[in-house]
Amino acid sequence: MNRAFLAGLVRLAITLAVIGAVLLAVLIPFALPHEHPGTVIAAFLLGPLSSLRHLGNVAEYATPIAFTGLAATVVFRSGLFNLGIESGVFLGGLAATTAALLLLSFGPFTPFVAIVVGAVVGSISCIVPGELRLRWEAPEMVTSLVLNFAILYAGVFFLNYYLRDPAAGSLMSYRIPADAKLDRLLAGTRLNSGAIVALVACLAGGVWLYFTRSGLNLRIVGQGPVFASHLGLPSRRIIMQAQIVGGMIAGMAGAIQVLGLYPRFSWTQLPGLGWTGIIIAILARENPFYVVPAALFLGYLQVGGDFLARDIGIPSEVVGLITAAIMLAVTATAIFQHPAVLRLIRRIRQVEAAR
Amino acid sequence: MTGLLNIVADPATFATVLRVMTPLLIAALGILISDRAGVFNLGMEGMMLTGALVGVLVSAWTGSAWLGLLAAVVAGGLMGALMAFAVNTLGANLIITGIALNLAASSGTTLGLFFATGDKGMSGALKSGVMPSIDLAVLGSIPVIGPFVSGHNVLTYGALLAVPLVSLMMARTAFGLRIRAVGVDPKAAATVGISVKLIQLKALILSGVLGGMAGAYLSMGYVSWFAQDMTAGRGFIAIAIEVMGMGTAWGTLAATVVIAIAETLAITMQTLGLPNELMQMIPYVVPIVILTIWTARGRAKRAALK
Repeated sequence: MNRAFLAGLVRLAITLAVIGAVLLAVLIPFALPHEHPGTVIAAFLLGPLSSLRHLGNVAEYATPIAFTGLAATVVFRSGLFNLGIESGVFLGGLAATTAALLLLSFGPFTPFVAIVVGAVVGSISCIVPGELRLRWEAPEMVTSLVLNFAILYAGVFFLNYYLRDPAAGSLMSYRIPADAKLDRLLAGTRLNSGAIVALVACLAGGVWLYFTRSGLNLRIVGQGPVFASHLGLPSRRIIMQAQIVGGMIAGMAGAIQVLGLYPRFSWTQLPGLGWTGIIIAILARENPFYVVPAALFLGYLQVGGDFLARDIGIPSEVVGLITAAIMLAVTATAIFQHPAVLRLIRRIRQVEAAR
Repeated sequence: MTGLLNIVADPATFATVLRVMTPLLIAALGILISDRAGVFNLGMEGMMLTGALVGVLVSAWTGSAWLGLLAAVVAGGLMGALMAFAVNTLGANLIITGIALNLAASSGTTLGLFFATGDKGMSGALKSGVMPSIDLAVLGSIPVIGPFVSGHNVLTYGALLAVPLVSLMMARTAFGLRIRAVGVDPKAAATVGISVKLIQLKALILSGVLGGMAGAYLSMGYVSWFAQDMTAGRGFIAIAIEVMGMGTAWGTLAATVVIAIAETLAITMQTLGLPNELMQMIPYVVPIVILTIWTARGRAKRAALK
């Protein structure tokens, strides 16, 4: 067996152990005041697995955040900390709705056209901070952070003045035409064909990053621009490509979320899916292949949270606390680069090498 | 146009600028301290949100707005300590820690409000306190200037007072010098016997204290209740302000004034019938433009030196 693979298994085992420990550490204080603490924890952990429909809900939650997780992975791999993904999702959803409402119907290709429009428009949110950074060295983390809100208000303006259905009670668009909606895959859930696209996109992203020259170039540039320039790589162009691709994936996330789930576009706040994408990219160690399990895991937590809210009466926001704690624990070098862990990994490698 | 002039000359407009400024200035000064110590506080939004909730809850329970403020400040300081622990002891990434803190605060305050009041959205049912406004007896009676300088919230005066205090602390005290030393080069600071971890812990606690205070102003001054995610990105604007202020207290004050005027303009232009969503964009677009111009100029200068 491959040495690197075994060493990877050690890290995976530690990751799982850490996640389990954090999960219980956050959950138990909420369970203890309850009459039967066991039922609280069981509802959270086992509820999502209790039926096919709930597994479908897990996949439904996982769909948009797999996209944003992939988007964050691509953007971070370029070495820029571009947070524009958050508004990219919003913009993608808005643009796809606009396309579905205003453009002619393209028959069965209508959702495809709308998603492409969403992806292209959504990419603006990552391109602008990336361009400002590359051209004028404006710090992309700060500019993307505030640009998110600028885009939000511009989008709400557009929604209010151009897409708003006056007959609807609150601020929301006209009904999205039926032929623009994505096919539902499982009765009783909102799981839609976007989930398949997400899976394919993550696998394709992994193949691109690890098995193609342009993916290798991106990894080199992200690791160290100086080394990349010694190799003669066009760093600026490669970084910009990553912002465009990441932004487009974020836009797709928004488009697929709106066309797959909602009757109308009604976001008047940033949906938060971009931030979740960052969490997923971190959990997945910026590896597209791991984005799918990471997204499914967060979807599982979310459905578990829904069970808590419905059956026990504890608000599902507990999931936010758990996720935040997992973020810290999983990135803690004190755990993952602990001398004992490093020694263990080295020993495994040496034993294998000796054979 | 005369309508606009009347608005500008109105003491009420000036008061709005100060109201908008107060939380941003306090938070930006908090970020400044953390930034100079090399531990950029991206968790400011979460610290403000936590301060806002704790202030409302404690002031409602004790009947004292001042105790509410104290509790908010302590809560913010604890979050700062938590951040220092995560970064320096657990070895987690600084930026990720900030994001995690914001997420935890957003969820945690919703849970806290729910368990305290049974409501997830707003604290309207609680009788929480409000920080008092101060009438400056002598200054307030001066004919023209009086209405402008007197009668503002005590935390507004506190925020303005904090600017010279932070400036003096950073420039003239041993603690400020150590913070700057750690921020510029932690290894060099360590070799002359400064405990990097301790300085960063103190800086983050101070940053959190200011964050808690900024949040308390939002829920006990700006308005008199707590609402879910009520900070609405102010912690992020404060980050942009601090970066625009180039790491100095006075620069931060200047940047805050620019943003607060932009936001006040947005609020008053809505009353003139302009689309309010477009006006709301202004305070978010201004920092992008200013930051880009400044970094571009900085680069041009460096290029000229070569």
